[in-house]
Amino acid sequence: MLADRPPFEDLYRDFLRRVYAYVRAQVSSAADAEDITSQVFMNAYQAYPRFEARNSTPAAWLFRIARNATLDHFRASGRRDKLRRTIEHQPMAEDDPATTAEERIQYRALLAHVAQLSERQRDAISLRHSGLSFDEVGTLLRCSEDAAKMLYHRAVKSLKESVDKAEATS
Amino acid sequence: MSDPDEDLELQALQRLLDDAFQATRPRVGFDDELWTRMQARRPLPNRIREAFAGLIQGIRAVPAIPAAALAAVLVVVIGVSVIGLSGLVRGNSSAASTATVGGAFDQAPQAGPPRAAGAFGRLPSPALSSVGSQAVVPAPVNPDGGTLAGQGSLTWIGQLTLNISSAPVYRYQEPTTRAADQFASALGAVLQGRPSGFLGTYEATDYTLRVRGTIQVPAAAPAYFVLSAPSMPAIKAAGAGPADIAGLFLAEHSLTPQWSYTVATDDSGGLLKVLFLRQLAVPGYGPAHVVDQTGVPYGIEVDLQGTQPVLASGPLPVNLDSAVYPIISVDQAVRLALASTPSPLAGPAALPSVALTQAELVYVLVPAGDHSFYEPAFLFSGTYQSGGVTHEKRVLVPAVDPAQRS
Repeated sequence: MLADRPPFEDLYRDFLRRVYAYVRAQVSSAADAEDITSQVFMNAYQAYPRFEARNSTPAAWLFRIARNATLDHFRASGRRDKLRRTIEHQPMAEDDPATTAEERIQYRALLAHVAQLSERQRDAISLRHSGLSFDEVGTLLRCSEDAAKMLYHRAVKSLKESVDKAEATS
Repeated sequence: MSDPDEDLELQALQRLLDDAFQATRPRVGFDDELWTRMQARRPLPNRIREAFAGLIQGIRAVPAIPAAALAAVLVVVIGVSVIGLSGLVRGNSSAASTATVGGAFDQAPQAGPPRAAGAFGRLPSPALSSVGSQAVVPAPVNPDGGTLAGQGSLTWIGQLTLNISSAPVYRYQEPTTRAADQFASALGAVLQGRPSGFLGTYEATDYTLRVRGTIQVPAAAPAYFVLSAPSMPAIKAAGAGPADIAGLFLAEHSLTPQWSYTVATDDSGGLLKVLFLRQLAVPGYGPAHVVDQTGVPYGIEVDLQGTQPVLASGPLPVNLDSAVYPIISVDQAVRLALASTPSPLAGPAALPSVALTQAELVYVLVPAGDHSFYEPAFLFSGTYQSGGVTHEKRVLVPAVDPAQRS
């Protein structure tokens, strides 16, 4: 193990939940989120020997893999369909009643609104609230830290408009 | 310049987002399952190297148990149960039963990956029973797994291969009335009162729900009880068996288990009982049943009268935290099992020789006040004939290294 690299187990322990939450905010089912999260950590585990801590933080590195895996998932299963299903899925008519309760508890309604945002806005919110700094968000979205902040704040405003609109019509 | 009220609303929304992401967690056991799968995919040279390192560490960390230490280790001989009178039939879980979906409670507050080894400090010893606890010189262990003599009446002729030297211990915080109310609310039941011994009693359209916390002695996990009203409709599903009916009933009431389980049925009484026997994940081993102090697995029970659910009970979903602890070896467990003595309640006449043929890793509940634990244990079992009836003897041996227990 290199001195500048924590054991992968530490990374796993520290980031599993955050990566899962990030992925879960993008996809319409817990099962998909599990599959993608599994793929993320499988890939990360294999790639970890090549991870250079001086080039990236572990968080940014992991979330880059998570973001790519999520995009791959959308591509593989027909992203447009997936997005439409995600939107149409509100308020999460899962088959299992237990899951419905879970969704209520886990702020699923709010995350469903996040899922309706544009890809970049969705990413900005999901990455930021998964614990990444604006610098890391910017790196992942290929923009400056300031641009990432701007993108994030616009995304939150869009989200608020979406939530307000839904509340007004309900 | 933005409106100050709007700024506040945006901040509130950001706080809500923080909460939403914080509350979004994978289901219970997912972290262990994934870690196990990742370990299985490691390159072979790494696995060999790490296995060797683990072996060396294990040798250092788990010395042979001296006789004095043996005296302090609680070994419990479980009383016999008459198999002939029990209709318990174990079945394997279906693919659907093990592929659990996200759950409302066990999942949401689950505390991520396992904590550092031994993170819970010294663990309380299982207060299973003092029956059979005795200091003896361990019987010699046959490394070939052949017949082993033990305390005259017990022998081990089984085989248990265990490739792990540690196992997770699960911990939960004692549920509050608020947690019980939330559970009931999610089911659509309304609080009626808090009778003595219960966190609450609740009413829904066609059933009464009662929720209680942990019982210290005999140890029992926090539980719920759904008592159906006469108006409860029968489950109608063409061609459905009892397990299907019970599963449908649980799903209809948001009670589908969010953990791995196997299914069993028991028709020994007037009612048909469908049991969803709970399992906890052990990386490197697989799912291990949760058993009571007599070694009998338990979980959710649905009592059926025909297709009419009469009663459903099961463990109240609680947040499970986990930390890995070193466990004793199979050889050490066998020594302790054989060193145990049969229940004195059985009397001298009921002390036949029993060959223990089966062994498995299980979990037992260890109540400990505000926080209670599910600790791993070895369950040995074997059958014998007495009076023309087949009996089963079960012996539970705590698995956590005695040095880690108080």
